Amino acid sequence: MNKLRGYIFARPFMGERAPQHVQNIILRDYCNKKGFELLLAATEYAMPDSSMILESVLDDLDSVDGIVFYSLYQLPTSTTQRQSVYSRVLASGKSLHFAVEGMSIAKQDDVDSVEQCLLVKATLDNCASEVEV
Amino acid sequence: MVFTSDEDLAIANEYSDLGYIIRPNADKNAYKWIQQSTASVAANALDIGQPTDDEKFLNEIHNLVKPSALNDFRLKVIQGLNALPEFRLMYFRLAKPYLEAIVGNELAMQQRINLSIQMPNDSSSLLPVHADTWSGDSPFEVVVWLPLVNCFGSKAMYLLPPTESAKFSDDFSARGGSSSESIFESIKDEVKWLEVKSGQVLVFDQSLPHGNRLNNESETRWSMNCRFKGVFTPYGDKKPGEFFEPITLRPASKRGMSYTLPKIS
Repeated sequence: MNKLRGYIFARPFMGERAPQHVQNIILRDYCNKKGFELLLAATEYAMPDSSMILESVLDDLDSVDGIVFYSLYQLPTSTTQRQSVYSRVLASGKSLHFAVEGMSIAKQDDVDSVEQCLLVKATLDNCASEVEV
Repeated sequence: MVFTSDEDLAIANEYSDLGYIIRPNADKNAYKWIQQSTASVAANALDIGQPTDDEKFLNEIHNLVKPSALNDFRLKVIQGLNALPEFRLMYFRLAKPYLEAIVGNELAMQQRINLSIQMPNDSSSLLPVHADTWSGDSPFEVVVWLPLVNCFGSKAMYLLPPTESAKFSDDFSARGGSSSESIFESIKDEVKWLEVKSGQVLVFDQSLPHGNRLNNESETRWSMNCRFKGVFTPYGDKKPGEFFEPITLRPASKRGMSYTLPKIS
C-alpha cells in the first residue's frame, strides 16, 4: 500500500480555516477511499507564510510515496515556491494529493488544474462578493 | 500594586523564572482515582484481570504490549478514560491552586486529555522538539503534565528554559526548518530534564521548546497532558468549543455576557 505523509495547517489559509482534528479526519477519509496508508500528519507552523514544515516534509520524500494536503489552498502562495514543490515531487516520481478537493498531481499535466483553482480563488478574493441592484 | 498572596506569588515567580513548576498533586484522592482508572482501563483493553499494584503494572506494561500494538492500545486507554464523566474534573483538581496562581480562576480546559506511553527503547512514541505555539496554540495556554509513574533520566521530558528559548527564537528562521534531530543537537546542552515523581504534577509553559528522547530506562513512562488558559484570553488555532471548554465561569462574567443596555427607542 502506498504511503502518504499528511500535511495540515495551524493557521488560516487563503481565507479558509479548519480545526486540526477535522483536517486529520478528512485526510484519513481520503486515504481510506483511495487505498493509501496515511502517515502521521506534519503540521505547518502558525507563523504567517511559513512553509518550513513543508520543506522538511519534501526533504524526507524518499521515505514516502507522496504528500496529502488537507487542501490545495495550503500550497505556498509564491508561484516560484509552488513550482519548486511540483518539480521536486515529480522529479522524485512521487505525487501530491489534496483531500478536500479530491485532486492530485502525479504528472506535469496535472499541475494546470490545481494552478487554475488557486488563481481563480485568489482572484475571487479580490472581487465584489455582492452586487447591489 | 500587587495584591497576590505570598504563596501565589512564589508559584508565579518560579513559573516565570523557570518556565515550569513541579508540585505535589493538589488532590491526592483525584490522583489515586486517575492512576487506578488508567490501570483498570488498560487491563480491560488487554483482557486481563485488575492489577494489584497499579504503578508496577503501568511501569511494566512493555512486558504485555508489543511496540507495534502500542498506538492502538494507547488509543483504547485514552478513549476509555475520556469516556469517564469524572475524568476531567479529577484532572483539574490535581492542579487547581497552581492554575489559579499562574493562569487565573476563570479557566478554559482542553476537551480531551492526552496520554503518552513511552516504552523502553521504543522509537515509535518520540515527541520531537517543538513548542505548542508553533502549531497554533495560544501563548496564553499552560500544560498540566501528570506522570502516573516516576519519570527520571531519559524517561522524563525536557524543556528549554526561558532565557535560552528567547535566543532560540531569535535564530528560528535559520533553525526552525531543520530536522528535529539537528534542532535538538543544537540545544541539547541547554535543555533541562524535568524529574517528576508519581504523586507530583508539572505545570509548564508550552511556548518553550520541549520534547522527549528515547526512553533508555527499564520502565515504561505513562504521562498525561492537558492545556488550560484564561477563558477570556486570546485563542490561537484551538478554539472554544472545538478544543477548549470553559470550566469555571463566574456569575459576573455570565451576567456580563448576556447583558444588554435598556432600549431607548
